[in-house]
Amino acid sequence: MVLVLALGDLHIPHRAPDLPAKFKSMLVPGKIQHIICTGNLCIKEVHDYLKTLCPDLHITRGEYDEETRYPETKTLTIGQFKLGLCHGHQVIPWGDLDSLAMLQRQLDVDILVTGHTHQFTAYKHEGGVVINPGSATGAYSSITYDVNPSFVLMDIDGLRVVVYVYELIDGEVKVDKIDFKKTTTTTAH
Amino acid sequence: MLKNKLKIPDKTRKPFPDRLGSLVIGFDYRDGENVGSDVALEFGEELETIQPKGFGSDREFEEPDGGVEAECVQEEVLTGGGAAAAAAGETEFRARQRPGREGSGHVSVLEVIAADEKRSDVEYELSQEEINLEKLQRIASKGLPDEGGLRATTWKLLLGYLPPSRNLWQKELSENRLKYAKLKGDLLISPSEFARRKILGFGPCETEAGSDVDGPLRRHQISQEDHPLSLGKASVWNQYFENTEVAEQIDRDLQRTHPDMKFFSGETVISRRHREAMRNILLLFAKLNPAIRYVQGMNEVLAPIYYVFSTDPNEQNAANAEADSFSCFVRLLGDSVDHFCQQLDNSSVGILSTLSRLSELLKTNDEELWRHLEFTTRVEPQFYAFRWITLLLTQEFSFQSILRIWDSLLGNPFGVQDMLLRVCCAMLLCMKSRLLSGDFIANLKLLQHYPDINIEHLLQVAMDLTPDTSSYRLSL
Repeated sequence: MVLVLALGDLHIPHRAPDLPAKFKSMLVPGKIQHIICTGNLCIKEVHDYLKTLCPDLHITRGEYDEETRYPETKTLTIGQFKLGLCHGHQVIPWGDLDSLAMLQRQLDVDILVTGHTHQFTAYKHEGGVVINPGSATGAYSSITYDVNPSFVLMDIDGLRVVVYVYELIDGEVKVDKIDFKKTTTTTAH
Repeated sequence: MLKNKLKIPDKTRKPFPDRLGSLVIGFDYRDGENVGSDVALEFGEELETIQPKGFGSDREFEEPDGGVEAECVQEEVLTGGGAAAAAAGETEFRARQRPGREGSGHVSVLEVIAADEKRSDVEYELSQEEINLEKLQRIASKGLPDEGGLRATTWKLLLGYLPPSRNLWQKELSENRLKYAKLKGDLLISPSEFARRKILGFGPCETEAGSDVDGPLRRHQISQEDHPLSLGKASVWNQYFENTEVAEQIDRDLQRTHPDMKFFSGETVISRRHREAMRNILLLFAKLNPAIRYVQGMNEVLAPIYYVFSTDPNEQNAANAEADSFSCFVRLLGDSVDHFCQQLDNSSVGILSTLSRLSELLKTNDEELWRHLEFTTRVEPQFYAFRWITLLLTQEFSFQSILRIWDSLLGNPFGVQDMLLRVCCAMLLCMKSRLLSGDFIANLKLLQHYPDINIEHLLQVAMDLTPDTSSYRLSL
């Protein structure tokens, strides 16, 4: 039972001052084993804050990050799943499923986590899952101002992953759940 | 009389047990009849004699001076017995005896006989259809044999886990074991497992349908309690995370349980399994008793029970040691559970009240010592007896001694707590001379690191104590 937090596009301090209070009250240290961050934090203080939540932190570089040494893409294996991480501004058209699928095949991962669009999406595409955790602060994106703060928590348990989607809609936290089971034959592609 | 004793069944012809290696203290062979009760049997424990400081109280531990005498007498007994025994097996028995005796000089024929007597007594009692608990208690108070799983069965009977009627045993055991398995399944489950079972309850088709089709994944709305970051009290997840703290504490304590015993410590598969089982028991207990949760030291109280049940030669019993240990652990702690609750400290059932009862008991039996401890040196029971009482003496003696002491504790017809106070008082009395000559620091040091003494002697002193009748007054 491994808990993995996926979030990104916070744009602190340029577009948002901080995470919503309701999110912050839920994110306490000790519960989460890994954090994967798509990028655009943008400053070191946010990095330090995330480090206090969980020491195992993985970040990829977004175009506004002030830390230039984050990698463009990252892959990691948690349990039976291979996860891939990328900010997403490199993949054009932004948010296009087929282009993201190309990246997924290139990284050879089961679950690809990207951001940049600031909209939560979760697709099953060609044997893998593409997840976009959205923007955790609700910062405006290059495309739209209408953004709900959201992030994703994945519970990886053997061959099964349960994705919990946390969204702040009208000041209330709404939680949804998505089940995904990996069949061992999908890796044959 | 001894001749009868030597016509014993085949059991004695087993390879000579090397555990019976100890001095026979104060042995004075007068009469064959007294053999069973007077002989100090130490299974596997080295006796260390303590030099008295000139105080001649007969409660004090005396140096054996009958050692040499005893040997000569044993020689006679042996030859006398040899003449009576005609079977070839008996000579075999004698032959094996010789090397042992010549080697260490401490082994006694009579000890072997006494041990076998005891074992056959226990076996006889346990083989009855309706077990006479009083008789069993009396036998247990004199010590139970280590082998044959007799101790395990006796403890289960004395704790009330097994009913006295033999034919109900199978039913009770299987019922209780099932109950335990169910409890474990309900309470010790991980939240993801719990969520998975919930989903399966809704029907498998819902989740399977979406897995082959590409496209946006279906989102299911869930309540505020069901997600891992939930802070709600009723949330499975929140409870799980709250328990991790307790679980960590339990793990830390388990690592430190009896580091000298291979059964508990080390990284072998077996010891890990034992620790895992004990962890489950303690965690379950903590969950079922939110008022006291887990207190450091409970692992020590669990250890002897679990050890005795796991080393039962009966396969089925050993495999279910975890379930049996849980039930017996709960029963054993049932009396003393009030000692752990901080709110009850000052009440009439709390630890302070028990400590004052210990004081009263000491006063009734030895006013001089009591006065010296209470007033002259101001060594109050809180300083030393707290651990003795709450942990049932598991931290004061070696493991083998603990098993022997617990035989007496469980075999007391007036209950474990009554005998416990008596043993504590006896511990003080046996150290009387050293305590009387010591000041606060020396006494405290002595009582907090209680030295090894002859356990049989200690228990005998405990049995002979005058009970404290002042506690029958109305307490205000």
